[in-house]
Amino acid sequence: MSAVTATIAEDKMGAVHAKPAQRDEGARLGFRLTLPAQILVLFISAFPLLMQLYISVTDWSPLSGVGWWNAWEMWNSFANYTDLAADTRFWSALQRTAIVMLVCVPAEFLLGLALATLFADDFPGKRIFYSILLMPMMVVPAVAGYMFFMLFQSGGPVNDILSRIVGAPVTIAWLSDPTLALIAVMIADIWQWTPLMFLILLAGMVGVPEDQMKAATLLGANAWQRFTTIVLPKMKTIIIIALAIRVIENFKIFDTLYIMTGGGPGVATETISVYIYKVTTQDLIWGYVAAIALAILIVLSIVAVYAMKRMAKSREVPA
Amino acid sequence: MSAIHLQNLVKKFGDFTALKTMDLEIADGEFMALLGPSGCGKSTTMNMIAGMEEPTSGKILFGERDMAGVPMGRRGVGFVFQNYAIFTHMTVRQNLAYGPKMRGAAKAEIERRVGAIAEMLQLSPLLDRKADRLSVNILQRVAIGRSAIMEPAIFLLDEPLSNVDAAFRAVMRTELKQLQRQFRQTMVYVTHDQLEAMTMADRIAVMDHGVLQQVGTPLEVYNNPANVFVARFIGAPGMNLLKGSPAESDRGLVIDLGPLGVTPPLPGELASAVRAARGDVLYGFRPEQVALAERGLSMPVSFVERIGARTIVHLGEGESAVKAVFENDVGLSVGQTATFAPPASSVRVFDASTGLAVKAG
Repeated sequence: MSAVTATIAEDKMGAVHAKPAQRDEGARLGFRLTLPAQILVLFISAFPLLMQLYISVTDWSPLSGVGWWNAWEMWNSFANYTDLAADTRFWSALQRTAIVMLVCVPAEFLLGLALATLFADDFPGKRIFYSILLMPMMVVPAVAGYMFFMLFQSGGPVNDILSRIVGAPVTIAWLSDPTLALIAVMIADIWQWTPLMFLILLAGMVGVPEDQMKAATLLGANAWQRFTTIVLPKMKTIIIIALAIRVIENFKIFDTLYIMTGGGPGVATETISVYIYKVTTQDLIWGYVAAIALAILIVLSIVAVYAMKRMAKSREVPA
Repeated sequence: MSAIHLQNLVKKFGDFTALKTMDLEIADGEFMALLGPSGCGKSTTMNMIAGMEEPTSGKILFGERDMAGVPMGRRGVGFVFQNYAIFTHMTVRQNLAYGPKMRGAAKAEIERRVGAIAEMLQLSPLLDRKADRLSVNILQRVAIGRSAIMEPAIFLLDEPLSNVDAAFRAVMRTELKQLQRQFRQTMVYVTHDQLEAMTMADRIAVMDHGVLQQVGTPLEVYNNPANVFVARFIGAPGMNLLKGSPAESDRGLVIDLGPLGVTPPLPGELASAVRAARGDVLYGFRPEQVALAERGLSMPVSFVERIGARTIVHLGEGESAVKAVFENDVGLSVGQTATFAPPASSVRVFDASTGLAVKAG
């Protein structure tokens, strides 16, 4: 087996770089040294993927009485994929997920950036505020879900505070109104994940060389000009990483949301993860779930590949 | 406009006094080096001139203008940082254009000025290179160009050569000196390297422990150090200083160095100054001025360093150790006794209690 892999490897190397023999030698040695790890990674990532692909073209479910490896008996000639294309509930869940992402990620980014700018300088009580600020991130999402579930009850603290501000009793049914429920869910997500954004962006901001900032000041740049011409460009890589992490994570939004609304009222807050969960546990059509999951994986992979490309482009040696 | 006056300048960081009452006049167009060991307050002084730090008390004037409260972006000061602080995410062109662009200059105007400055600094072929892959002398030129494009009246340089390897420093020094001649600006240059200060500066301000020790031309500072610190700090190796007390002899006033014997008589004017000062003194002379003689001080050779062009001979031990520098080689080896006499004109005498030079006349 190893002989076969080696030949394949050689072929690949030869095709990819037609470079001096010495370089080839190094690449080959590197390939051999990383081979065990590569096989392991390949197995871990490829096996579930292939299994999913396999099931996605069948009508298999745990109740169908055959093992998943025998699912070929229930081959349905890509019916799952054609169903998916026509599944309006799927498309509206996808759309909803996109809306949540397009609101939450920019909000988290801007809040995180503002907080990072604030925390890049010293001010009294910074350490305490810093610890407090990081706490939401450490709360178990399910707990955060219960917390916001309580907060947004019609007799809950949110309405209480609002009625004190307005001076008249407020009884908004946050979680039973389709639009308000979605807003409540987004608020919870922003509350929980802004700290992560803040933390990553702060790390990037602290890494901006101080003397370059001073040089910019001496050359007459004001605070805003320094921010746009020095800080942001230097943080480009880290901003892309932060956004990619949150886009991918937010796309999979589930636990907090499910505990707050269960995807309801109706399907008003049903995101893609909630939909998959329901199809898996309630309808038990696993072949179809596999098809959905693959479709989403493809979407997220495109995001990840794009981010990686941008990162490779903007990577630079720090001064 | 571009002369700098520092008046009673004091800077404290909490309990620590970085700078104790500094007065310094830097003339228009002068190249002034602030020289001293690390922690002497030279960088603090420079940062206050640039406006990065506010003085605890005292005044900084540029010409007639008081700089108190003027933010650093408005002082018209060019600053070259120790590591140049080039914007690595930009091209050379963007670096040079940064200042005018931030001030809202017109595009055509920026282009013209960048072109002119690049021409002057021989950066034209490099304008579109990314600034993170430049050699250090190019970086220096970009750093100077980026400041010079703003036409500052004052240029501040914070140890720009300290990150450069020794072989390259000579090249950079020459280049820097030429640039200063080209721009004719007032330059303040902070360094701990006396060679840089001596070779480039019009005048040197020697500092130690937050106190200005002496201001003078390189040769003044070298030939007539104002005190023991300057005497030891300037020169490589520094001035030899031997403890002794003045004594009258039939040949004139001599210094009794205890077990080392007595020195040759001091020249007339210096002798009368030492007589007037009274008390114990330090007898000083440059290692380079030691000449072997028939009569004079005799000391055992403890170590000989031969470095080609020069030979450094270490004489005696402990408090009374003396170094002597000879051209090329000298016929001395360890264990021998050397007899030498510093020429009378090169002898400097310092008050042993205050450390200040006893000046003839």
